[in-house]
Amino acid sequence: MAQAVILFTGDFAPDAFGAFVQHRAARLDLAATLLDSAADRIRVAVSGAPEMIDAFEMACSLGPLSCLVRDVTRSVA
Amino acid sequence: MTGWHPVTLAAGLEPGTAEGTRLFGRELVVWRDESGQSHVWEDRCPHRGMRLSFGFVRGDRLACLYHGWQFDGAGQCRHIPSHPALTVPGTIRAPVEPSAERLGMVWTGAGPGLPPDEAAVPVRSLALRVPGERVFAALDVGKGMRSGTLVILQHGARRLAAAVQTLSETESTLHLAILGDAADHRGAGQAEISLWAEALRRTLEEA
Repeated sequence: MAQAVILFTGDFAPDAFGAFVQHRAARLDLAATLLDSAADRIRVAVSGAPEMIDAFEMACSLGPLSCLVRDVTRSVA
Repeated sequence: MTGWHPVTLAAGLEPGTAEGTRLFGRELVVWRDESGQSHVWEDRCPHRGMRLSFGFVRGDRLACLYHGWQFDGAGQCRHIPSHPALTVPGTIRAPVEPSAERLGMVWTGAGPGLPPDEAAVPVRSLALRVPGERVFAALDVGKGMRSGTLVILQHGARRLAAAVQTLSETESTLHLAILGDAADHRGAGQAEISLWAEALRRTLEEA
């Protein structure tokens, strides 16, 4: 079990990105909590298998069509 | 989707192979594992959406062509090559559809109406550029016995199972088998029904 906080910066429709985060986290069997949700930054705390956290970061770096992720920063929770 | 629908002739689906098909516009993969069990799934890898029908059967698993993710017969992902030591979470699954083999065909669907099993000699599957309902009408349902997507009809001395797969609003596939034993119908019987079906297709597509 690993934990991480991932900060996505860019241009977001926060509701759409939040739904995307929850869907991908459920698919990857991760627990995910939105810490910040704004039009220019989304911060998420995740926990689960380290490989799945990597996959989550990759999936969310693409994001839904209505959002543009410009940068991803990951830190240890 | 209600009822049961044919998706391929069982004899044409060899162990260790996968093929793509459609049902009411939905993309499906039909595959047979190396122990002989057939499966019908949505034709979409849960990882990146690649068609699983492009993949490879490895033992009792179907492996996606794109990144090699392997799924067992229940659709559960069991192996991710880039993370070989990972115990894959139970949430990563391919969408499995109910399936069964009857009358020499593979069927998928739900609820009652799955045809009873009976010895059958496969003939062929024909793709038709006409809606499924027109195929049923052409099978002269008044003389045959229609149950769902299956029509049992008499053709000379032979009893036929004619099952119609609706691919889309404009396309269908007619799957044909002769009811009875191979010793009585293989060869000349199959050729006779095959020619009849080709004539039926010409009539339908030229109408």
